[in-house]
Amino acid sequence: MHEKEKDLIDAFLRGQVDRRGLIKGLGAMGLAASTAGTLLNFGQTRALAADFDWQAHKGKTIKLLLNKHPYADAMIANLDNFKKLTGMEVVYDVFPEDVYFDKVTAALSASSPEYDAFMTGAYMTWTYGPAGWITDLNEWIKDPAKTNPKYAWDDFLPGVKNSCAWNGQPGGALGSADAKQWCIPWGFEQNNITYNKGMFDKVGVSVPGNMDEMVATAAKLTKDVGGGVYGIGVRGSRSWATIHPGFLSAYANFDQKDLNVSADGKLSAAMNTAESKAFHKQWVQMIQESGPKDWSTYTWYQVGTDLGAGASAMIYDADILGYFMNGGDNKMAGKLAFSAFKANPAAKAPTPNIWIWSLSMSNFSKDKDATWYFMQWASGPEHALFGATKMDFVNPVRQSVWNDEMFREKLNKSYPGYVEMFDVSAPGASIKFTPQPLFFDLTTEWAATLQKMVAKEVPVDEGLDKLAESINSQLKEAGLG
Amino acid sequence: MEHTSLLERILRGIALALVVIFFMFPIVWILMMSFQTNETILRIPPQLVFEPTLANYTALITGKLMTAAGTLDIAFMRNLWNSVFLSVTSVAVALLLGVPAAYAFARHKFRGSEDIAFTLLSFRFAPALLVLLPLTLYFQKLGLANTYIGLIWVYQLICLPLILWIVRGYFEDIPADIEYAYRIAGHSWFATFRKIALPLAGPGIAAAGLLAFIFAWNNFVFALVLASADKQPVTVGALAFITSSGIQYGQISAAIVLSITPTLALALYAQRYLVEGLSLGAVKG
Amino acid sequence: MTAATIQRNRPSGFRISKRVLPYLLSLPALLVCIGILIPFLTSVVYSFQRYRLSQPWARQFNWGDNYISFFTDPKFWNTLQVSLLYAGITVVLELLLGLGIAMLLQKRSTLNNFISIMLLMPLMTAPALAALMWKLMTNPGFGVLSYLASLIGLQDFRWASSPSTALLTVVLVDIWVYTPFIMILLLAGLRSLPTQPFEAAALDGVPRSFVFFRITLPMLTPYILTATLFRLLDSIQQFDIIYAMTQGGPGDTLTVFQVEAYLNFFQSTNVGRSAALMIILWAITYFLSNIFIKNWLRLRERARGQA
Repeated sequence: MHEKEKDLIDAFLRGQVDRRGLIKGLGAMGLAASTAGTLLNFGQTRALAADFDWQAHKGKTIKLLLNKHPYADAMIANLDNFKKLTGMEVVYDVFPEDVYFDKVTAALSASSPEYDAFMTGAYMTWTYGPAGWITDLNEWIKDPAKTNPKYAWDDFLPGVKNSCAWNGQPGGALGSADAKQWCIPWGFEQNNITYNKGMFDKVGVSVPGNMDEMVATAAKLTKDVGGGVYGIGVRGSRSWATIHPGFLSAYANFDQKDLNVSADGKLSAAMNTAESKAFHKQWVQMIQESGPKDWSTYTWYQVGTDLGAGASAMIYDADILGYFMNGGDNKMAGKLAFSAFKANPAAKAPTPNIWIWSLSMSNFSKDKDATWYFMQWASGPEHALFGATKMDFVNPVRQSVWNDEMFREKLNKSYPGYVEMFDVSAPGASIKFTPQPLFFDLTTEWAATLQKMVAKEVPVDEGLDKLAESINSQLKEAGLG
Repeated sequence: MEHTSLLERILRGIALALVVIFFMFPIVWILMMSFQTNETILRIPPQLVFEPTLANYTALITGKLMTAAGTLDIAFMRNLWNSVFLSVTSVAVALLLGVPAAYAFARHKFRGSEDIAFTLLSFRFAPALLVLLPLTLYFQKLGLANTYIGLIWVYQLICLPLILWIVRGYFEDIPADIEYAYRIAGHSWFATFRKIALPLAGPGIAAAGLLAFIFAWNNFVFALVLASADKQPVTVGALAFITSSGIQYGQISAAIVLSITPTLALALYAQRYLVEGLSLGAVKG
Repeated sequence: MTAATIQRNRPSGFRISKRVLPYLLSLPALLVCIGILIPFLTSVVYSFQRYRLSQPWARQFNWGDNYISFFTDPKFWNTLQVSLLYAGITVVLELLLGLGIAMLLQKRSTLNNFISIMLLMPLMTAPALAALMWKLMTNPGFGVLSYLASLIGLQDFRWASSPSTALLTVVLVDIWVYTPFIMILLLAGLRSLPTQPFEAAALDGVPRSFVFFRITLPMLTPYILTATLFRLLDSIQQFDIIYAMTQGGPGDTLTVFQVEAYLNFFQSTNVGRSAALMIILWAITYFLSNIFIKNWLRLRERARGQA
């Protein structure tokens, strides 16, 4: 690297030049923005090394278990910088998403010491934590000897960070004072609307502002766009994954809950209230009128594929699913737009439920301190910025990245409405489920009940009463109700 | 069958054509998709006309997958190699163990023979899931976790019962008189087994071996749970194209085509044994 | 000369080794498999425990509670019913179809041999991937089968996504994948039948249906039983196709044993219940195959007597 460029980068890192100035300056020296980014990252790596003994675990090797995902790809692309910084070796196993969590469960339930850290979702830690498979990370985060001073734990979005912390009590509030930090958020998804702007313009509808409007808009799109296009894509397979995206986000917006927690910590089903029944009726009607024909087999992939290929006019699902479909070799790449969604007209702001890809430390790791070195780097501000600006690491979990102008500009250029959507809905974004060990039993049965309702095998009211009854008996059986 | 009428021949032809269409149509469709990108695969309504591309195969073979987010490394050829290695060795071991045992059950009614044969079969009753969790624990302790040897051992659950029971049937169809005649002529037991029994049951052994090979090839739950990423078979490898940014149907189709090819080549090579049958009619009469 | 007289003429030293020999031949196979018995027994122990991975402190023996709870659980009876129904339909249809195809291809010719190998291709496709492809082909928008169905007037056929057609669709995929398995075994069997009884029947002018039911079928029975047994064992444990196509849905339409056990194990991490479900599945397969094997032995004797 030439000295002049090095100086400019160091000036930026000292705060003497702003980001734009840096890119411009480097551009004048004949460097493309992407090269500048890599250099910057290298500069940051040098800067990091100044304040903290990154070499303390030099020569050690840690092994990761990763899901085949853009987040993992971004990390692997930047991994050499970590190796340079620490002198550590990192090896990893990548498994396809389809079988990833089976692999995690198999490895951890056998107390395998093979993997030191792994990717997980926050919901899964409600099993892994109580099972004793993962470590409370507070011990490391709060120890200045083990965590570098620039880690900036406060920089994490509070709703996301707290959603990864639970005290292990069934029904205990996420992020409570006695909560254990089971995982570090890495990237997350809010559930909002992604829509096909061309189709909306053609039919002359605007983005729905509440549930009534969504039902009506979806119906009009189904009727008028033509070519077999349907109005709204939502998931419908017999799985927890059907409940957690748009469905629960809207449900929570009406102040509805999955479970009630009594004063003495007992849990009981809460989905058979009058408001819940009214909401379920609307949701079921929307799918029957304007959802995909084979809705009950719809997972993340089908919802996304249809939007990307122009078979659906909008989705109420993860914002990053819309993000992915707006790029790549998708037919509708560059033609999608984004909007936050507030289902309840009386609500003040959207309340998206979120999915958080995060990093957990295995309790069976043989060197937890060394593992933490990797984890704090991978979830640190520099890597987050690298991933967000150079790779597809959206949505970042750090406020500093969202404040970064280059990142906002990148989004605004190709993803209309994305930044705005984020700003509107992020304050209300958190996990809306009650953390408890029967999470998967409850949500799978909930999804199966929704399928029966949509197939008109059971009326909504009766279905919800039955569901609540069954959930209550399972909670009792497990000693929770 | 020499006296078939014209009408019957036509009807048989139509029936056969329907069978071929039903079973081959999805294969042909997959083959076509393997030469397309997602953009042409996902058209409404689906269309026959497309501009063929070799991109899917190039990506699989070179291990470089070009995506919007950059170039990704994929280990498909490694997966393919693992499948070949695991299936071939597992079937070889199963043949080595299973054929003599099948011969014993067919030729020698010894005390407990039916019980042992049934026990061997009963390993096939146990759903894989039932033994997997404890097996992972024990493999960990024995140091077999994440080894090819451990996997080949577990694969015997799939291969051995199949080979044993199919080959046993073929041995039983060989008239015992031929072997006894050979023995009387002063040949050893082993020579009889090798020179008479094995060649006569050859087609059956080939058919059982091929079927065991196919079932071993298609399995993935054992490797998934018991081994790390570098030992995964092609069935797990192909799932890597179901990505969060979309299902890469073109690449999955190409992966299916590439993963069928070795088995198909084997089947075509062994064709004579597979479909010729035992041809023992003359001997039997 | 019969086998018995030959045996009597043997040198005496041979008899000892004859007693030991079969054990020597079969024991290696048995020993290799016996290792699997230990994890199997461990799982039996699990099935008598209250054992959720997410509640390790509550782990204790509850003896038969996991099993007893099944009796009053309508979901369990649904699982039992669907599993047996699925296995019954697929095995019967695949057997009939496989036998039919084998008879179409019975005549030895290059074309027939080639077709029979080509028909094995569905079997060579991993079931999970095959199911993924069928899911695409039955998609209402991009799916070629949905498109073809709409051409013949089935505009709104919903394949695996409707409770009324889900079973049918999954059975169709199962037939596509596994009929070749039965076909190839029966084809090998048909072609190995002795020719003389058929030639004799043809000379005597015996009706074809009589030949089929009285000669072909009885002589083929051992092959049919072997093929059916293995297909039944796999079919009642079906997981890949059903899970990849519908995850057990819509509603509880296709929650067969393995799907339930899988969800209980990997998602709910309720090891005790999952193990109990699979022990019951094991008991059912044990019972069914016992019947099969008994008949297999009997029929083999009879078939050989006829030949």
